[in-house]
This record gives sequence, C-alpha cells and structure tokens, in this order.
Amino acid sequence: MPRVFITGLGFITSIGNDAAGVLRSLRELRHGFELYPPFQKPDIPCKVVGTIKEFTTDSTDPEDWTFPSRYRIKREMLRSMAPNGLFAHCALLQAIEDARLTEADISNRATGLYAASGGSPFLTHYHHERLLKYGVMRCSPMGIVASIVGTLNFNLVAAFKILGASCGFSSACASSAHALGYAFDDLSLGRQQRMFVIGAEDGNSDAILPFAGMRTLSLQGDPSLASRPFDAGRDGFVGTGGATVMVLETEAEVARRGVTPYAEVLGWGQASDGYNVAISHPEGHGSATAMANALRAAGIAPGDVDYVNAHATSTLIGDVSEARALRSVFGEALSRVAVSSTKALTGHGLSLAGVMESAFCALALREGFVPGCAHLSRVDPECSSLLLPRTTENRPIRVVVKNSSGFGGANVAVVFKRAA
Amino acid sequence: MPTTSKVFGPEDEATLRESLKRCSPSTFEAAVQFRKTGNPEHVPAVVIGVIERFVEPDLRTKLKDADDDLRLIEDLGIDSLTMMEIVILVEEVLQMSINNEELRNLRTVGDVKTFIDCKIRGLPLPKPTKFIPIEHIGAVMPIQPPFLFLNEASVSSTSANGKYKITGQEFFLQGHFKDNPVMPASIMLEALGQLAVLYLLEGAPTEPGKVVSPQTIFFTGCEGVRAHRVCKPGDILTLSVKPKRMKMPLATFEGSIRVGQDKAVIAEEITLTFGLVDAANAPVPISGPEANVNPGLDSAPAAATPLRAAINA
Repeated sequence: MPRVFITGLGFITSIGNDAAGVLRSLRELRHGFELYPPFQKPDIPCKVVGTIKEFTTDSTDPEDWTFPSRYRIKREMLRSMAPNGLFAHCALLQAIEDARLTEADISNRATGLYAASGGSPFLTHYHHERLLKYGVMRCSPMGIVASIVGTLNFNLVAAFKILGASCGFSSACASSAHALGYAFDDLSLGRQQRMFVIGAEDGNSDAILPFAGMRTLSLQGDPSLASRPFDAGRDGFVGTGGATVMVLETEAEVARRGVTPYAEVLGWGQASDGYNVAISHPEGHGSATAMANALRAAGIAPGDVDYVNAHATSTLIGDVSEARALRSVFGEALSRVAVSSTKALTGHGLSLAGVMESAFCALALREGFVPGCAHLSRVDPECSSLLLPRTTENRPIRVVVKNSSGFGGANVAVVFKRAA
Repeated sequence: MPTTSKVFGPEDEATLRESLKRCSPSTFEAAVQFRKTGNPEHVPAVVIGVIERFVEPDLRTKLKDADDDLRLIEDLGIDSLTMMEIVILVEEVLQMSINNEELRNLRTVGDVKTFIDCKIRGLPLPKPTKFIPIEHIGAVMPIQPPFLFLNEASVSSTSANGKYKITGQEFFLQGHFKDNPVMPASIMLEALGQLAVLYLLEGAPTEPGKVVSPQTIFFTGCEGVRAHRVCKPGDILTLSVKPKRMKMPLATFEGSIRVGQDKAVIAEEITLTFGLVDAANAPVPISGPEANVNPGLDSAPAAATPLRAAINA
C-alpha cells in the first residue's frame, strides 16, 4: 500500500487566514473570538463567534462581498458560491501554492477532491423567500448550487477543473474527518495519486443560531471564557466558519515532485454510537472504538501517541464522553499523552472542524509543538485523568491522533506521524 | 406587458434602482422611462444594458459596437445560466414573463431585442434564428457538393447569414486562373443565391400547410452586382442575404459578401422563382428535426440548448 503524505495546507479561519497566522495563534494561544454584531440583540442570548477577518459576506449577493485582493475570482464563479465556497476557494488557492502544484498536477484523472460543508442555510433561506415572494420562475438559477449541501464540491470541482474522484460528505461535525479518511483510502488503494480534502462553513447567524435551540451554544459574553473545553465552567460551544484545505499525496508523487511533506497519514478508523440522534454516548463507546480502529490500522500502540487533538467542543456531555473514551483506549498510557482541544481558540467549525484541526496537527508535527488548552482554569473532575497542558509546549512530537464526532454518533479518528 | 393602470411611484423607482444597481445609469433611465410611459422605444436600451452587466468586462466592448448578429453564447461568452440571469432581471425590470420555450430560441442580440419588443407590443413572435450546420444544409438543399458553397448558416425570418471557406481544392480553381487560383465572381454570386435558396426553404413565411419545394427554386435575374475584392484560397466568405420582396412565385433579395471587414461582393438584387407544395408531401430532411436547434459547428455541445444544458443537476 502506498504511503500517504500531507503536502499542502490552506487556511481561512478565525485564528488566521494563512499558515503563518494560524501557527502564531496556536503557539501563543490567541483566540479568534469577537462579539458578533448580528448577535448583539436582546432576543439572542449567545454573543460570541469565531469570526473570519478580512472577508465580508453578509450580503446575499456575492458581488457585494469583499475579500483580500490577492484572491481574484470572476463573477461567473462567484455567483454560484455560498460564503463557505468563497472561503474554501481562497484556502484551496493557498494550499495549491503551498504544495507547489502546477495546473497539470491539479486537473488530471488521478487528482480528486473531497469536501464537507453544511451547505448554506443563509442562502437557502434567501432563495426560498424569493421563491415564495416572486414566484418559482423568478428564482435565481444559482439558488440550488449555491446553497444545498454539496455546494462546496460543485463549485470547487468546476472552478479548479478537477477530473478525478469528487464527493461531498455529510456527517455533521465528523464530515471533513470522513472526507480525510476516505481520501486516504483512495490514495492507499491506488485509485488516486492526489486528493484535496476541504472543509468549510459559512459561520454566520443562519449556520450557528439553530444550535441555540438544542441549548448547545455558550451564552458567555466574554470572548475569553466562551469556549473552554474540559473546564468545569464550560457552558456550550462557540460557532465559527471559514475553510481549511489539505493536500494529500502518495509517496510516489511526493518523490516525483521533490516536495517536503508536513506529516504522514498513517491510517484512520470510525465507529458509530447507535445511541442518540444528537447526544454522544455517555461512555464514549463509538469514539473509543474509532480510536482503537485507527490505531490498529496505523500500526501504533496507544503508548506511542504523543498528542491527541480532541473533538471536545466545550459542551457539557460531549467533553466528558470523549474523556471517558480516551481513558478506555489509552489506559495507563493516558498520563503520558497530551490532550487539548483547539476549539478553545477557533470555536467549533462543524463540518470544517475535522480537517481544520487535522491541519493544526500537521503544523504541530512539522514545527514541533503541542497546542495548549486555552481558557482552561478549573478542570472538570470527570476529565481530571487527562494530561491537559495549559500552555503550548515546544517539543518535537512523533505521533498524533485527531478525534472527530458528529450527530447521530458518528465518530472518526485519524493517526498522523511526523514525516521522516 | 406593462401595467399601465398602476402609477410608477417613488417606491417602484427605488426597487428598480436596486435591481439595476450594477447596470449603467442610462439603463436605469431607460427603464424608468419605459415603466412611466410604456413606450417600447426604451426597451432596447434596457435589454442591452442588462446584457452588458452580465458580460465579462473585457468582452463589453464587443457589445458596444455590436450589430444584431452578435451571438450571445459564441461571441459574448454568455452561458445558459447567465442567460437565465439576464432573463430574470429583464422580466423583473420590464414586468413581463418569458417562458422556457421562448428563451431557448434567443441566440443573438437581435433575437433578444426583437423578441422583447414583440412581447411588449403584443405582436406575434418572429420565427427564431436557426443555426444550420453543414449536415442539415446538405440534407435540405437541392444543390449538392461539389457545387455547394455554404459551410454553415443561420436563418431568421428577416435574413440569412452564412460562411464559406475557400479551401483551394475547388475543381474550378485549377483553371481560374492559370497558376493563380481566384474565386470566380460568378461563383460568389452563386453562393449568395444558394443562401437565398436556404432562406426560402428554412426561413420564409409560407401559407399554412404549405412548404417551399426545393425542386421549384431557380435563378431568374440579378441587378447591381459589383465585386470589390479578389478572394483566394484561405479566405472565409461571410455571406448575407435579406429578402426585399416576396410575391409568389418571385422572391427578391439583397446580398453581400465580406471577408473579415472587407467588402467583397454586393448584389442589389437577386431574384429567384419558387413554388409551394403541401407540407405532408414534402421530403423529410435526412438529419432530422433536431439539427435545426444546433448552434454553429465551432460552439461547444453544452451550449446546444440553453435550458437543457442548464438542467444538468
């Protein structure tokens, strides 16, 4: 089986709009939260969002949007995009440059693209409103492709002339981790030579506020207290949007192109809770099985893992069930495995989370650091067996596990190793 | 149709301004005038202004000095989805409805202008411009290779346009002239005549239940024929004929040939004689009815019919 490497990254995130910015935020534990203007109303109890800077996408007309001038996007591409499509388009341009890919490397039968976003509730709402107000034949012909789940892959595959495998993944907050896992499979099975893995979300009111009804959003008004995974005082997650792109390539392509990879993907695993539509299993059974499967597939013993980037979103039930899952998988080795959730800095990126945090792991492996647990002051007693570094530790690490979980109890774990 | 019963108030004007915010000020002004007065003279400015807004900036100059033959898909890069964006905005601004079948037939700037104008005035819609590829030309024409001088053609109810590339392989060029192949002016007149024949077969309005019979068309005369340019192998002749008079059994056309921007041949009048037969007895073209909705040979297959191409979900 060919080995699989991470050769390029692109970021439009609440903590930075390029790898350098993201790296600085992770090292210095700078969060990306702001009091989000649309939430500053008496009838909206949550206040904080991991905002995307340098972009304005609050208009339903893409021609009103503003974004950094280094990205040039034609109207005929922009018109069918949701905000998450714009973020991903820019992140993909970055990743292509980072991986030093030529046009021929991108558009060929051996290069594919797997993407995950929750679609655009924002534009779905807008187009449906027009449909009801002006009639069915006065709807924008772009309404569907700009807003349904899949908008990300439709737009990117067309814009970047992708000829290989393409697909969208929809397992809520595990979506882009699933995309990464299946991209790895396609490469290790020899079906493709290179895959773009993309996660993105609008991160605006329409994407985030529906979670308020589930009582899963933090109501904290202080941006430095709102997202506190594993903390006893946590009260829910903070929403965010943006995009991350990861370029995966087989060892043959890495050798042919002579590039230096960030890290190797060793393997992945998944398992489901079979328990509740929205609540994770209290003992973390599915998450534990996913991790065990991933470690077995990667040929890694629990004791060899240096760092786990947890899914922990700062919700009451989810963080505890993941802590229990970690305990059952790592046993006595748990005391030597550093654990943190970078959602303390970014907020919860939903479909974006898996690949964004995997990309953080790739940076941590290449640069040699363990991101600390930002905003953690009083550890929840249920999570006290975890090794939770309060600040970022600068030290070389070899093996990292990334956990992701989504609605319906879908759990994914991916194992990464430092390249060479 | 404009709603003349309702007064065009400041609120309507604000909505209109918002709808046309990315169009030129003159487009907005024309739209305001149309909505206030219902005068169809303002319609072309609105339609062209809306098309311009959706054309990539570097192609807009083409539209500025465009004649009505400028093709939306091939020349302006407007895809079927953009066409729908244009239509929806025109519908909104002029307060009219265009159905899918009508939309499919709009291929040139002239088609769009004529179409909207007829809709506004409540006139019957003209036959749409048909693009006729070489296979279909061969199937319907009584004239056949090696004496057929049309590679592609488009026919509407008011004109026919065609192209012919002089290959250098034409048999008569061996002797016309010795060691100096020049397209005979008489053959260029023949090519215009052939385009007029195609017009009679594909574009001319006839009596209900009748069609022009290919076997009945013959040349009768011409007037004011002048050749302005020597045409040689490699030149692409752009041919155009417009009917001047049609009265059974005679049809008189004016015709012209250009090579690029150069005038090559002018014919003030070419007259053909023709006859009608019952539609039921007419020969069926070999390439079938689909052929006449295909665009020119050089356009992408995806652009064949705007709506069908768009619904590829």
